[in-house]
Amino acid sequence: MFGRLAATRLPEIRQIFRQAPPQTSRSFSTALNYHIDTPDNNSELPWEFSNANKDKVKEILSHYPSNYKQSAVIPLLDLAQQQHGGWLPVSAMNAVAKVIGVAPIRVYEVATFYSMFNRQPVGKYHLLVCGTTPCMIRGSREIEDALLKHLGVKRNEVTKDGLFSVGEMECMGCCVNAPMITVADYSNGSEGYTYNYFEDVTPKRVVEIVEALRKGEKPPHGTQNPNRIRCGPEGGNTTLHGEPKPPPCRDLDAC
Amino acid sequence: MGLGVLASRATRLSGRGNPSRSLFYVRTIVTKPELQSPEASSAAAAPEPTPDLPPRTPLGGARVHFPNPDDAIEVFVDGYPVKIPKGMTVLQACEVAGVDIPRFCYHNRLSIAGNCRMCLVEVEKSPKPVASCAMPALPGMKIKTDTPIAKKAREGVMEFLLMNHPLDCPICDQGGECDLQDQSMAFGSDRGRFTEVKRSVVDKNLGPLVKTVMTRCIQCTRCVRFATEIAGVQDLGMLGRGSGEEIGTYVEKLMTSELSGNVIDICPVGALTSKPFAFKARNWELKGTETIDVTDAVGSNIRIDSRGPEVMRILPRLNEDINEEWISDKTRFFYDGLKRQRLNDPMIRGADGRFKVVSWRDALAVVAEVLHQAKAKEVVGVAGKLSDAESMMALKDFLNRMGTNNVWCEGNGPNPNADLRSGYIMNTGISGLEKADTFLLVGTQPRVEAAMVNARIRKTVRATNAKVGYIGPPTDFNYDHQHLGTGPETLLQIAEGRHPFCSEISNAKNPAIIVGAGVFEREDKDAIFAAVDTIVKKYGNVVRPDWNGFNVLLLNAAQAAALDLGLVPESSESIETAKFVYLMGADDINLDKIPNDAFVVYQGHHGDRSVYRANVILPASAFSEKEGTYENTEGCPQQTLPAVPTVGDARDDWKIIRALSEVAGVRLPYDTVSGIRSRIRTVAPNLLSLEEREQATFAASLKPEVKQKISSTPFKAAVENFYMTDPITRASKIMAQCSALLAKK
Amino acid sequence: MATTLVKGTVQAIKEKGLRGFLGMLKEEGILNCIFDGKLLQTKLHTIGARLVGVDKFGNKYYENLEDTQYGRHRWVEYADKARYNASQVPPEWHGWLHYITDHTGDELLMLKPKRYGVEHKENLSGEGDEYIYHSKGHALNPGQKDWTRYQSWQPTKAQ
Repeated sequence: MFGRLAATRLPEIRQIFRQAPPQTSRSFSTALNYHIDTPDNNSELPWEFSNANKDKVKEILSHYPSNYKQSAVIPLLDLAQQQHGGWLPVSAMNAVAKVIGVAPIRVYEVATFYSMFNRQPVGKYHLLVCGTTPCMIRGSREIEDALLKHLGVKRNEVTKDGLFSVGEMECMGCCVNAPMITVADYSNGSEGYTYNYFEDVTPKRVVEIVEALRKGEKPPHGTQNPNRIRCGPEGGNTTLHGEPKPPPCRDLDAC
Repeated sequence: MGLGVLASRATRLSGRGNPSRSLFYVRTIVTKPELQSPEASSAAAAPEPTPDLPPRTPLGGARVHFPNPDDAIEVFVDGYPVKIPKGMTVLQACEVAGVDIPRFCYHNRLSIAGNCRMCLVEVEKSPKPVASCAMPALPGMKIKTDTPIAKKAREGVMEFLLMNHPLDCPICDQGGECDLQDQSMAFGSDRGRFTEVKRSVVDKNLGPLVKTVMTRCIQCTRCVRFATEIAGVQDLGMLGRGSGEEIGTYVEKLMTSELSGNVIDICPVGALTSKPFAFKARNWELKGTETIDVTDAVGSNIRIDSRGPEVMRILPRLNEDINEEWISDKTRFFYDGLKRQRLNDPMIRGADGRFKVVSWRDALAVVAEVLHQAKAKEVVGVAGKLSDAESMMALKDFLNRMGTNNVWCEGNGPNPNADLRSGYIMNTGISGLEKADTFLLVGTQPRVEAAMVNARIRKTVRATNAKVGYIGPPTDFNYDHQHLGTGPETLLQIAEGRHPFCSEISNAKNPAIIVGAGVFEREDKDAIFAAVDTIVKKYGNVVRPDWNGFNVLLLNAAQAAALDLGLVPESSESIETAKFVYLMGADDINLDKIPNDAFVVYQGHHGDRSVYRANVILPASAFSEKEGTYENTEGCPQQTLPAVPTVGDARDDWKIIRALSEVAGVRLPYDTVSGIRSRIRTVAPNLLSLEEREQATFAASLKPEVKQKISSTPFKAAVENFYMTDPITRASKIMAQCSALLAKK
Repeated sequence: MATTLVKGTVQAIKEKGLRGFLGMLKEEGILNCIFDGKLLQTKLHTIGARLVGVDKFGNKYYENLEDTQYGRHRWVEYADKARYNASQVPPEWHGWLHYITDHTGDELLMLKPKRYGVEHKENLSGEGDEYIYHSKGHALNPGQKDWTRYQSWQPTKAQ
């Protein structure tokens, strides 16, 4: 068995040993699962919800029974992330833990589980490229390459001006308009926070979108193909021209 | 669990078609006298089991208890009907039926996670195999545990678990006692189909006791649940998702719990292992000796694993009534103190103040001579906190024959009250605390004084939301509590009904009052106990015929037996006028009180504190090297057994005293342990009925009136450093490390 | 076979001279064959066999597929002619030699990870006391002669 394995996989195995794989910053869907103290991210730093957000916190907590406050952990983390420019320092997670009255580790567990919570700084515009199969087939790799090349960064790296970062996201349910990117806009804090889909993008079009964002414009979101209306087919409907027929149903009165 | 069970099941299955053959197996294994006598064995053979349904016995530890007989339901495990109470899971039903289900994440003392999927079984009419640990058993359920579907499901789960598990069994400390290893012998394949690169996980630093090799982790989350539920320190968590999932603390944090060592036992793989034991021995080289722990008054049941003459590690032993299956870190890791600072030769301090090694004959002759010169009233004997009942009996008998009755045990205070047994033991019992719904802790911090009792209280508080009121200095609790006050005046307020906590006690069904043994050392101890008695009398529900909620939490292993044996000094100031002091392992008494011209004999096993004051040192054996009876705080006598030979020229405590009595000319009338036990029978017969809790017969209400005034001094912490309380733990390097790193400043 | 042997001998003497030939005989272990029947057998076996490879210790690996019984068609001629044992075979050749694989040691050497792994060492435990593991406290364990199972209290600090 070893012989067969060696014969078939010898070149691959040799390849692995020849060059140790470059340490990708994100080999799994989540980043590092432990915290490393840095000057801008340590538990000593004070962190609080802003006054405007404190009302929102109250509003969020009011959705849950008072003895199940910990259910509010995800909306509160989201709010904290919007307030803190798109990412969650460990002190923000501690603040959330205090609000909902659980041990901090229970909040870390949630924050590390969901890849939408960034525990490293991101740009003001966080561009998320869908990497799941339909988008990949329709060319999401090229789109990501175009973005990275245009911005001159690696994945999950922030541009020097702090405006952009590119990440990967799994399926966001826009397969019918694949490929797509999402732009999480943290430039206006939690009040002006938007999270918009740009669908049917091409490598050329994403660069235009990036440039428009750089200028502070708001490019129209949704499908970027002028011949399509939302997720309808190019050139108008091909089916469902008339009133849809009701589903066939047996005659209940006859029973 | 594991191979033995699987093997026995295999033999049982092979003997299924042939009843006489299966009976043959039984007779070779079981050595009961009735089976060896021909008539009895033929009688036993008469009701032959039907070949289709071999009789099943519940697996070890599986007790079936029906809280309500109407709730019994019947399920069928492999066609064998079992009656179980409603609400049991399928896995528990299988255990009752004697079928061991492989499992990793399920632990019967932790909440159910259901994430390892190893316990999959087939249930009739269920389209898929079900995870038996999380599935409640329903009436009439037909569970099949040895069908091809169940086997295939387990093999699949095992292959996934082994996918990312490193092949480092030869260098893994869990090797030989690893659940994954055992179960992969049963369900694992001899080859894997996984050809990618295995994942690796960064090791975490959990402190000086627990070593982590996180790459070996199979994400069963037992440690997370243990830390959250039993230990009460929410530090561990499950971080990340998917194949990047890992156990960790996220931020750099040590696990500061007094029970953290138990995660080593519950970890089914080698991800969490013992740091002091790392690479020291393999578990199959070790000889286990079932004994008990003496570092606190709980008397946790332990197993000392030794290799040759060395104690290699200490593990807990299951005892539902005392320590369940946990032990504190002090119990688990203090063993290296047994190898350090040992006294191995008799020594006499010469005129120049230096110790000289002498023979036993010379040492005993010197002691006897000085003893005869001293007046009877000036002779004092103090038993240490690790003394067993036998040696305390011998010490008391010996000094009584010398004409003095100034014998006591350290920790019991200058003026102990040994008249009413109910006044110094835990009348409720440790397992009885689970029935209590309101606790009043008076001058005791159970977390450091008796970690297992604290774990029991925490269990109760978690299960029933019991109220806990605490009087004493501010301290750490790992459960909700109300800090009522720091001094005895709060106690008086409760006794007089002026405190809001009074209503909690009067409304409680089973209130439990726990008084710390630190109170024994106080001047106004009688007044405090009188105040507690007032509370007991005021609220009639504390002591009733069916419930005794008055408890004293003792500190040391020797205390209860010493009071049972009547080690009470004649006068409380005797030590200040003593000319001859016999310290039997007493290292925590105030040595400044001993007059400078007194002759001090120290008999013990560690060069700790008192040796520096001693004139003669008589080396004794430690608890791991002798057979002795210890009574724990609930009045349950248990015995230690010798695990390793003693060191150097040391001897058992009672043997030294017996020899000394002969040299001194007052020969004690016993030469054997059984002889000394029959002497104990005449004094405190309850010490000989092992593992039985004899109820205290007389209630505290018989106490005489107390004239003492209560003082306003606040209660003190009885234990300053959890990790260092006695000569052995003070000699231990690991305990020194722990107290430097973990003890709260 | 005998004629080829004689012919080869004569040719070798012609090429190297008698002195050089004797040196070669010594190096090849022919002289040891006089006392060592196993070595002689290997030498005779080797005539007409194919040399498959030589490992880094100089052990030669032969194969003869023609007139040898299948299953005995691979063998090794150790580099050290005076003192040899099976543990001198490095792991990469072990598989080939024991018919576990048809890949020769040179091929399998490419699979050996470069970043870690230790050099193969022969097992010397029959070669004297210094190679035997002695447990702590054993008189022959020089590093741990002073090991004691407990540490006694030393009355240094006299009060």
